[in-house]
Amino acid sequence: MGDVALQTAPKVAPSGAGDQRRERRVPDVAFSIGAVLLLLVLWYVFSHSSLIKAGYLPSPESLAETFIDLARNGYQGRPLSEHIAISLFRALAGFASGVIVGVPVGLLAGYSRRAGAMISPIMAFIRPIPPIAFIPMAVLYFGLGELGKIVLIFFVSFNYVTANAQAGAANFPIAYRRAAQSLGLTRAQTFFRIVLPGALPQIFTGLKVAMALSWAVVVAAELVGAQSGLGFMISDAALLFRIPVVYVGVALIGAIGLLLNFSLNLVEAKVVHWKGR
Amino acid sequence: MPDAPVGQSKISFAGVEKVYSSASARVTSTRALEAFNLDIARAEILSIVGPTGCGKSTALNILAGFELASAGAVQVDGNVIVGPGPDRGVVFQQASLFPWMTVLSNVVLGVKCRGLPREDYEPRARRLLVEVGLKGFEGHYPYQLSGGMQQRVQIARALINEPEILLMDEPFGALDYQTRLLMQKLLLRLWEHFRPTILFITHDVGEAIFISDRVIAMTKRPGRVKREVRVQAPKPRDYEFIGSAEFTALERELVMAVQSEVEVDEVPAAH
Ligand SMILES: Nc1ncnc2c1ncn2[C@@H]1O[C@H](COP(=O)(O)OP(=O)(O)OP(=O)(O)O)[C@@H](O)[C@H]1O
Ligand SMILES: [Mg+2]
Repeated sequence: MGDVALQTAPKVAPSGAGDQRRERRVPDVAFSIGAVLLLLVLWYVFSHSSLIKAGYLPSPESLAETFIDLARNGYQGRPLSEHIAISLFRALAGFASGVIVGVPVGLLAGYSRRAGAMISPIMAFIRPIPPIAFIPMAVLYFGLGELGKIVLIFFVSFNYVTANAQAGAANFPIAYRRAAQSLGLTRAQTFFRIVLPGALPQIFTGLKVAMALSWAVVVAAELVGAQSGLGFMISDAALLFRIPVVYVGVALIGAIGLLLNFSLNLVEAKVVHWKGR
Repeated sequence: MPDAPVGQSKISFAGVEKVYSSASARVTSTRALEAFNLDIARAEILSIVGPTGCGKSTALNILAGFELASAGAVQVDGNVIVGPGPDRGVVFQQASLFPWMTVLSNVVLGVKCRGLPREDYEPRARRLLVEVGLKGFEGHYPYQLSGGMQQRVQIARALINEPEILLMDEPFGALDYQTRLLMQKLLLRLWEHFRPTILFITHDVGEAIFISDRVIAMTKRPGRVKREVRVQAPKPRDYEFIGSAEFTALERELVMAVQSEVEVDEVPAAH
């Protein structure tokens, strides 16, 4: 995932420790760029060689052409931007509603022992079920329209957000609790001023997983039953053997996922400014 | 030990016992305190020293209201303690400042939550921060401060409630020697100003003598009061006191008292 690249980027490579550090003149980012270029070159060479059956691996140039064509003329009667927007809408609507419900539920379950005792076993059972296993149920109960997809993604998002908010509220340091008590804070004040902000770092961990999964699941849901969206575009194009369109769609899905994660990282750095210090 | 007449002491531990029972059958329960008696007078500074694990923090936590005594009673002004409260300010050893709040917000949190008007508490908080030497750091976050500065914030946070009692559990334990001396003098200066009753826990016998009116040495677990010394030197004290005859004599007496408790344990282990 893009996650890995973004999170490890600022760290100093551990291999460069000790006396090696002095000799390292080439910055790490040069290696990253080099690897990407190498991949592009290999791709170019393979797509133009006779090793691969014609049409199965589109060349980089043909992808660029396809992308421009899609951007100009759309796909199956809809502009490309509309496919992107509809996928984003489904993912973000489900994600956001999961956050709005999941954060309070999780915090309450972590803060109040009784609420935790009620919620934990249910969540523990549901969590290991792969989210895509619920796609047929969503279709069954809500049909192929928007509601089914949003409910499905709400469910995915809610699951991960709740679990992390609960852990964040339950594991906050006893020193905080005691400090709050001896300052005379009420239980409600402790909850809103101490437990909630104290759980924010962990809540953000949940948000990032939930965001990545929301995006993954919306695409999966669109593969099965949809007339629009990026998932529909790639599955439809595959059936019609329009392989460059499939590649462009997949690349777009990756790029948008990366962008979503990146924006969430920016928000996190702003909100949880004390994290890791 | 001279028993203070009833009604005169600010704080009284009477026959306090604390057993930590364990939930698991494989870990035996721990008797941390036994027959622990201690009276602390109003505006007295009392320090406790003792071997590690002897129950010092346990005694302080019971007084703070964080833990319940298994037997016996702890009273403040003759009232049995029911829970934590702003009448007993606590300064913790570890950083317990809230990292998402600025220094000023940390200090005013308690008074703000109790509904005092901002015009009242904010100027007081700013004055207090000047007094603990943190002028200009009101808007900083705890992670932008050194360990010594964070402890100063904790002290200000406790003092803004104007508590009659200040509980300090190894508050300077993590600081370097020079900073620790500075903090000890700061504490004495603040005491001149606010006159709280202070219960102070430390492993540093010299620190205990320097700041206290009275120092208690505890036995090893289950902890009881083993030795009690009174420090006669008048306050305010300066660093000259540290090398004085009184200081050295008390230091030797307390070190012996604590060390003999530790070595009782060590002898059988050595063979
Ligand atoms: N919450 C707890 N549950 C179980 N046992 C505990 C708990 N807190 C303390 N104890 C035990 O009680 C004994 C006394 O602990 P306490 O923290 O009061 O010691 P201390 O004198 O403050 O030690 P130190 O100088 O190392 O801080 C120890 O043996 C400790 O293991
Ligand atoms: Mg302790």
